[in-house]
Amino acid sequence: MKQIIQLDVNDEVHEIAVQPYDSLLRALRETLGLNASKRGCDSGGCGCCTVLLDGKAVYSCMTMAMQVKDRKVTTVEGLGKVAGLDPIQQAFIDADAVQCGYCTCGIMMAAKQLLAENPNPDEDAIRKGISGNLCRCTGYQKIIEAIQLASER
Amino acid sequence: MALTSVEAFHSPADKASVVQLLQKHEDNALIVAGGTFLHGLASRGLLTGIEVLIDIQNSGLDNITINTDNVVIGATTRFAQLETSQEIAQEAWLGAVKDAIAYPPIQIMNSATVGGSIASSCPFFDLPTSFLALNGAAQAHGPDGSRDIPLEEFFSGLFENSLAPAEFVTAIKLPQPPANSASAFIKLETNANDLAIVNAAVALTLDAEKKCRQARVFVGGGMGETPVRASAAENLLTGAVVDEDSIAGAGEAAKSGVDPISDHRASAEYRAAMAKVLVEKALRKALARVD
Repeated sequence: MKQIIQLDVNDEVHEIAVQPYDSLLRALRETLGLNASKRGCDSGGCGCCTVLLDGKAVYSCMTMAMQVKDRKVTTVEGLGKVAGLDPIQQAFIDADAVQCGYCTCGIMMAAKQLLAENPNPDEDAIRKGISGNLCRCTGYQKIIEAIQLASER
Repeated sequence: MALTSVEAFHSPADKASVVQLLQKHEDNALIVAGGTFLHGLASRGLLTGIEVLIDIQNSGLDNITINTDNVVIGATTRFAQLETSQEIAQEAWLGAVKDAIAYPPIQIMNSATVGGSIASSCPFFDLPTSFLALNGAAQAHGPDGSRDIPLEEFFSGLFENSLAPAEFVTAIKLPQPPANSASAFIKLETNANDLAIVNAAVALTLDAEKKCRQARVFVGGGMGETPVRASAAENLLTGAVVDEDSIAGAGEAAKSGVDPISDHRASAEYRAAMAKVLVEKALRKALARVD
């Protein structure tokens, strides 16, 4: 049976109805219409559903909506707007780090936690920081360059 | 993969309430915390008939307590919390724990819990192999109170454990070993976010003459229905000087003592060969950590 919960997403509190088994990803995409977080493997293997929960990167496909009631969710929609992009978003554009784009939102959210905790990561730290995210275009080199670029700005 | 059979989600505030829910819903209830292996269990057909989820993340079980004779890690302690614990970072005897949490990606570190890694009773997980080498016990809480179950008894089969009805894991207890002890863990994996092909954990205690007083050697990752104790390797090491000769002997003994599975990750033959290599490497790593 559906239950009403409050979900704080990108500093806006929404009151939504969810099934007790709904993932956070499903609540974001199908109930709130926030489609930046992608449904890839839906089993915690690809990382394209990555969002921040109280500032920490998690797989939203493996996090249940019911578990997030009193916590703050940040998705790419909350990173920046077209008129004021987050430095990570701008760096991905400037470094041409996007191919098909399916993994991009998840990788930017993993990079967000990485740079918040380690503003000047070396290449190894960047590789470790995004090791939970797959890019099946295999465009990793440009992605790493983009995160380096963001860290320098 | 949605668990569409689930009809209710509970988030009890204490252990007693968890037990009440387990008693009420019996086999239809499942404890959850980080949730990172729900899909793994569901896709193996192990969660049919689950109607009630009991989230224990708000039940006050996320503390790491350092006592004089043991370390107690609460069940909902996240891997990321272990990473920031000074004791785990610095104590040589806890090296196998530090090593095991160096592998997962950030998303798993932020979600997965110590209790979940045990209670799932998955033979491919990493921390259980380390906890077994450290002679750990699961603290279980149920209708009759709390009890400690040595992990070697706890893991009773493939995705099976010896928890009684309405019992759940509340903590992992790791007994402090004598001085001159160290442990280490090594994992072989296909990529940064996969289950182990093979993993190995060892714990050594040396005497004043650098001879091995005590050794615990475990191999996991498809070695059997649970991680397997390499008793023959332990017997070879005990009383011996730990050097390249005894390390090679222990590796060979570990290989001879396992009967691994074949699956899409690796053949049984490859797993056995790698068990030898990983045990040897883990022994060298632990030896280098002994004062």
